[in-house]
Amino acid sequence: MLVPLLTLVRTSLYDSDKSFGGAGWSLRHYVRFLGDGFYLSVLGQTLLYGLIVSVFCVVVGFPLGYSLARMSARGRRWRIPMVILPLTLSLVVNVFGWLIILGRGGLVNKFLLGLGLIDAPVQLLFSSFTVMLVMAQTFLPFMVLSIMSVVAQIDPALEQAAANLRAGRWTTLRRVVLPLAMPGILAGSTLVFILTVSAFITPRLIGGTRVQMLGSMIYEQTLVTLNWPFGGAMSLILLAIVFVFVAGVNRLSRTRFSETRS
Amino acid sequence: MDRFLHRATDVGGIVLRTAIYLFLALPAIVVICASINPVDFLGFPPQGFTLKWYWAAFDSKPFMDSLSLSTQLALLATVASLIIGTPAAYAIERYRFRGRNALQAFVLSPMIVPAVVLGIGLLQFLVWAGLSQSFAALFLGHIVITMPYVVRTMTASFSLFDRALEQAAMNLRAPPLTVVRRVTLPILLPGLLSASVFAFVTSFGNITVSLFLAHGGRATLPIQIFTYVDYGSDPTLAAVSTLVILVTVALLAVVERVAGLQKVV
Repeated sequence: MLVPLLTLVRTSLYDSDKSFGGAGWSLRHYVRFLGDGFYLSVLGQTLLYGLIVSVFCVVVGFPLGYSLARMSARGRRWRIPMVILPLTLSLVVNVFGWLIILGRGGLVNKFLLGLGLIDAPVQLLFSSFTVMLVMAQTFLPFMVLSIMSVVAQIDPALEQAAANLRAGRWTTLRRVVLPLAMPGILAGSTLVFILTVSAFITPRLIGGTRVQMLGSMIYEQTLVTLNWPFGGAMSLILLAIVFVFVAGVNRLSRTRFSETRS
Repeated sequence: MDRFLHRATDVGGIVLRTAIYLFLALPAIVVICASINPVDFLGFPPQGFTLKWYWAAFDSKPFMDSLSLSTQLALLATVASLIIGTPAAYAIERYRFRGRNALQAFVLSPMIVPAVVLGIGLLQFLVWAGLSQSFAALFLGHIVITMPYVVRTMTASFSLFDRALEQAAMNLRAPPLTVVRRVTLPILLPGLLSASVFAFVTSFGNITVSLFLAHGGRATLPIQIFTYVDYGSDPTLAAVSTLVILVTVALLAVVERVAGLQKVV
């Protein structure tokens, strides 16, 4: 683990654009990335997608995680496998399924045609919206499991107490459950964010060349353009962003929500 | 009015959750349906039933070669991860030693380090070590990515393990090997099994790291599927993908029966 990382650091500092036989020391690959508007806009876009997908997963994952935590073991029996299927199933197979659903002759287009909402198949692929949708589906299990494990530790008596005090459902949710579940929500969001900003298979297959993300650029530089020093520099920038994000969320979780953890 | 509102949120919740479950399972369902659809293009819903795409898949040498490569790779990586990961988990759980936290962070780090960073790092390292495009490259890479699952599952297993049981057996004058065979192993078996299944499934389905390590060399099944999807697809691909889905679901079912999935995820 450590040795490949060190190799990566060294390669990213080579003073050349070739993958092999690099020599010398130079920061120019970092300068090239950070000084170019195009690369920075891709970086910004990637981080934005990461945030949107994380927020979406919180909103969609919370009801599922909460209901799973409050369910009997029997009810969970067939629901848990459904939740972890996208996580354990090969990513390419999952994305391939989405290609069938979203393609021109696919499920969604047929449905819309059948309803008479559209006259001709619409292009659903190659848009940032569908890329984000597919990534959300792929990474949602992490959020659901993370929220489920936290909610399972919240004593249901607390919610009953709130109800006895005539707090409505929404008030109980907002004032009791959400603050207590916050560490789980943050942990899930961290994972989803990391996975989204480093994704490259989904953007490439679903987004084509129209949706540029940092992960797919690293992939291109490494395996297509064969500019390993530049690819290495980009992946270390990605790694740095991930570390800063994780550290930030951990801090937030410790300082703001530590008193709520029993 | 209040009651009605209550009822409405209940019903709304059920509808919402059903929709989310459907959203999660939809790609897999659609792939399975496309694989039994007799028409020549990938369509949904199926307009009949056929197994011809499966026969085509079994006849296809690239797919069968990569299937056998993926299976061998996943088996070997799983065994290696268990052999390295189980003692590591044991040490992390039972002993307090210098560098314990570092060791734990280190073996679990492939879960946090983005796969693309891991892939490119391993690629450059293995080229430097003269091992690129070989089976060894894939093997090493897959040990790294399966290790966190083994260590996490086994740490949980050891932490639930009641050592008094072993002591009781020893008090009853059972020789050490008998204690291991009759007490320790049976208790750890569900954990070991779930660890192996998660390791196997992770390795078998991995694309993000494999893509970097197998470049130019032999392709694993996910890479083969990726290449075909990239060039445009036909129902044979759906049949192959369905095989992957069936393997995954079957293995999850095994864990569910033996250990109970909800305890290990």
